[in-house]
Amino acid sequence: MKNNILHPDKSIVTLVLISILAVSLTLQHEFNLKQALFFLVGIGFGVSLLHAMFGFTGGWRMFIREKRSIGIRAQLLLLAISSILFFPLVGDVFPNISAQAALGQVGISVLCGAFIFGIGMQLGGGCGSGTLFTVGQGQVDMLITLSFFIIGAVLGSYHLPWWLSLPNIGQVSLITELSIFPALIIQLILFFVMYLVVKKIERKKHNEVQPLYIKDTHKSMTDRAIHGPWPIWVGVISLSVFGLLTLVMAGYPWSITFAFGLWGAKILSALGADVASWAYWSSGYPAKALNSSVLSDITSIMNFGIILGAMLAAALAGKYAPAGKLKSKRILTAVVGGLLLGYGARLGFGCNIGALLGGIATGSLHGWLWLVAAFIGGIVGVKIRVALELDAPYGVKYEKSK
Amino acid sequence: MKNRNKLIVGSAFSLAAIMVAIDHTQHSLPEPIVQENIVIEDDNESPCSMSDDSSPCGLGD
Repeated sequence: MKNNILHPDKSIVTLVLISILAVSLTLQHEFNLKQALFFLVGIGFGVSLLHAMFGFTGGWRMFIREKRSIGIRAQLLLLAISSILFFPLVGDVFPNISAQAALGQVGISVLCGAFIFGIGMQLGGGCGSGTLFTVGQGQVDMLITLSFFIIGAVLGSYHLPWWLSLPNIGQVSLITELSIFPALIIQLILFFVMYLVVKKIERKKHNEVQPLYIKDTHKSMTDRAIHGPWPIWVGVISLSVFGLLTLVMAGYPWSITFAFGLWGAKILSALGADVASWAYWSSGYPAKALNSSVLSDITSIMNFGIILGAMLAAALAGKYAPAGKLKSKRILTAVVGGLLLGYGARLGFGCNIGALLGGIATGSLHGWLWLVAAFIGGIVGVKIRVALELDAPYGVKYEKSK
Repeated sequence: MKNRNKLIVGSAFSLAAIMVAIDHTQHSLPEPIVQENIVIEDDNESPCSMSDDSSPCGLGD
């Protein structure tokens, strides 16, 4: 039987392994072992995301366009498992473990931010996690998206006080309002119903449902573990485990986009702008992060880990830096999409990770509002892609493109 | 085309690494402490003092 493994890029694998070792030792030397472990957890996220190709953007687009629900069902599984793991920790069932919920205001700011983010996901070609792991994979267009994601996040941090002054009902914790187990059961029932609904929609359209587990007889288990691809359910499990590790170690759930704003604010400061006087960067953790080394920020070092982890996995899979010429239309959507992603993430109290996954799995109502608004934004984004002729019109067989 | 993409991505990562190093250095280096007239006295108590054969670094037993 023919072995269809792509050849690993050995030079990149070696370079990344040396970099991982060097960064881990630096973090351990300059800070502590825990800081190095956060970086390694980021590596785990990056490898898992790349090998399982776990993205929110593509899953939503496939469902909106083709009524294929495999991506959405995987996301629902991730949300359900994470909720089961996180609710007891956030609800103080284990007094020795201190874990905070990712709470955000429920109001206009999240509604608009998530809607904008949803459009940005489809135009930019990735969400928070998706942008990071595709950059790690060496996709040049996603470097543009990430650059403008950073600019958008800085702009969003400048305007955030005004957005927060718009009507809202404050932070709402379902765990506080309903207590842990009723809130968890209601949430799990909602996931289950959504799972059945999207599955039914797929079956109605295609007369069959793509399974989450597809057996690949061409490769041994070891080959698949190292070179990928992983079945999507393996990605769900590993992301849940790394998410749990993050919550236990950091005391709050996995987040991504705060770091983008921080990097942008630091660059702007270095160029002479008085960012420290902005309301968002003048107090609390943002002020502390702005005035400290970027390596002291957990979100930043986990993001560096995700990029390097994805790079390692891509090199092992022989998929690093895929060939392809950038078209001007793609550059435009990367710029606009990146700006919308960054701006929307700041207003929405995070991205698909910090607000959607972190918010919902720790019982914050703003996470649910984020999901609805971002999905509607996603529908608009998919329509814009068709209008720009980046994708074929509805009804014509969808081919993965940017 | 693939090599060109590798070069672009590699350059971007290198630039980012340099920026991180600069940022970290700016924030982690302590302010230099000005000390005047520091006198180092040799009190022959160093473990490697040449005058003390019983020291761990001595050449004789």
